[in-house]
Amino acid sequence: MAESAKEYRIQSFDKETQSLLKTALKEPSKVDLNRVSTIIVDQSLKDHNFSKEAGRICHTIVQAEAREAGASVFRHHLLNRLQQEFKAREKTRCRSVQEWVHFVTFFCNIFDCLKVNNMPLMALVHPVYDCLFRMAEPDSLLNKEEVDCLVLQLHHIGAQLERMSTQRMDELFCLLRDGFLLQEELSSVSRLMLLELLEFRAGGWSLSDTAHKYYYSEVGD
Amino acid sequence: MLSYQQLTHLHPVSSRSKGSLRWSCSRKRGLDGSLRRCDGQEKADQSQRCAENRSSSFTTPEGDGPMSRCADWASEVEQEEMRMGVRQDVQRYRRRILTADFNERERKTSSGSSECRDSPIPADMETDEAVLMRRQKQINYGKNTLAYDRYIKEVPKHLRQPGVHPRTPNKFKKYSRRSWDQQIRLWKVKLHAWDPPVQEGNDLQAIDEMDLDDVMEIELEACDSAESEENTQCSKNTKDTASIPADSCTGTPSKVMKTEANFDLS
Repeated sequence: MAESAKEYRIQSFDKETQSLLKTALKEPSKVDLNRVSTIIVDQSLKDHNFSKEAGRICHTIVQAEAREAGASVFRHHLLNRLQQEFKAREKTRCRSVQEWVHFVTFFCNIFDCLKVNNMPLMALVHPVYDCLFRMAEPDSLLNKEEVDCLVLQLHHIGAQLERMSTQRMDELFCLLRDGFLLQEELSSVSRLMLLELLEFRAGGWSLSDTAHKYYYSEVGD
Repeated sequence: MLSYQQLTHLHPVSSRSKGSLRWSCSRKRGLDGSLRRCDGQEKADQSQRCAENRSSSFTTPEGDGPMSRCADWASEVEQEEMRMGVRQDVQRYRRRILTADFNERERKTSSGSSECRDSPIPADMETDEAVLMRRQKQINYGKNTLAYDRYIKEVPKHLRQPGVHPRTPNKFKKYSRRSWDQQIRLWKVKLHAWDPPVQEGNDLQAIDEMDLDDVMEIELEACDSAESEENTQCSKNTKDTASIPADSCTGTPSKVMKTEANFDLS
C-alpha cells in the first residue's frame, strides 16, 4: 500500500483521503468521483510537487473507470473543473502568481497524461496554448517562476503541442524571441532559460551535445 | 426568436441533418398523422422546429453531426472518443466483411458459379460519420442499462437464438432513419425482459420509469401480428401525440390499452 502512495505522490494527504484515493484507483465506481476530482485539483493548485505529478493518478482513475464500468464520470468532473479554472485564470494570476503557475503545471501535466487512444485531447490543445501565450507576455516574463514554468512545460509537451498546431507554436516562439531580445529588466537567468528553449526547439525538441554541455555541465570549482 | 439562418450560423448544420430534413418533408403524413401540405411553409415550420431542437442541447442523438460544437471540454472529449471508436469499428467491420466476402467467393468459384464481384468493400455499407455517431449513441443508451448488463451475463453470445434473444441493430447496414429508429425501439423493448425484478408496491415507480416509446411498442405488440401493415400505421399515428385515434387496431381505446399494458408489465 505504501508503494502506491509513493508512486502517486499522495503521501501528503491525510490517511482518510489517501484511502479514498486508493479506492478510486482500483474501484472508481465505489466512490464519489466528483469529490475525488475536487480533492485532486485543489491540492494541485496548492502543492508544487503534486501539480507536477497529479496527471498520472488522474489517468489511472480514468482507465480504471473505463475498464470497470465503461464510464467516464471522473474525467467529466475533472475537465469541468479544469475548464472553470481556465476561465478564471486571469483572476487567479492576479490573486496569486504561485497558484497560477501550479494551475498551468497541472493543466499541462493532464494534457500529457490523459490521452484517448494514445492521442492527446483535442479539446485541450488551444486552451493549453492560451496559457503558455499568457506566460510569454512581458509582465509574466519578469517573474522567474513563470519563465521557469513556461520553459519546463514546453520541454515536456512542446513536441506534442507543435504536432497539434504548428502555427500557434510558431506564433508563441515569435513572442519568446521578442521577449528574449527586447524585454528590458529580464534577469540573466530568465534570458538563459529562454535561449536554451529557443535552441531546444530549433533542434527539433532536443538539445545538441555541445549545447547541452554549455547549459548543463557543472561549473568547475 | 432566432431565425433558422442565425441558428445555423451558431450551430453549423452537417449535410446529414439537411438530408434528414428533406426525408421528413417527403413523408406523406406529419408526426400528428395529418396529411402534409405541399407548399414551402411546411418546410419552414419543420426547419424552425429542427433548429429549435438543435439549439437547446448538444447531446441529443438527433441534431448533431461531426460539426456540432460543444461549449464544454467534457462533452467535446466524449464526442471525440466516440468518433474514434466509430472509426475503429468501421475498419474492423470492413475487415470482417472482406474476409466473409472472400470466403464466400472461394466457395462459389469452387462450386462452379460464374458470378464475379470486383469490389471487395460492400457498396451498401453506411459510412456517414454523423449517422454512425448518432446510431452509436442510441445503441449506447440501450446498453447503458441494468437490463442489458443482466442480459449479457445471463445469455452468452453463442447461446443466443435469433428471434428469441434481442440483438443489437447493426449500425453499418443501410436503413432509412425511420426503420433504424424502429429497430432500436424494438430492441430496447425486448431488453426490458431482463429488467431487475420490481418490488411489490413499487408498481407506480416502475410505470414512471418506462419511457413513452416502450408503451407505444407494447400497444403494437398487443395488436394482432397478422395485421402488421396496420400496426405500423398505428404506431406512426399514435407516436408523440396526445390525441388518440378513434380507429386503432383493436376495439379497445388506446388509453385503456396503455393502462392495461402498464399493469401487465409490473
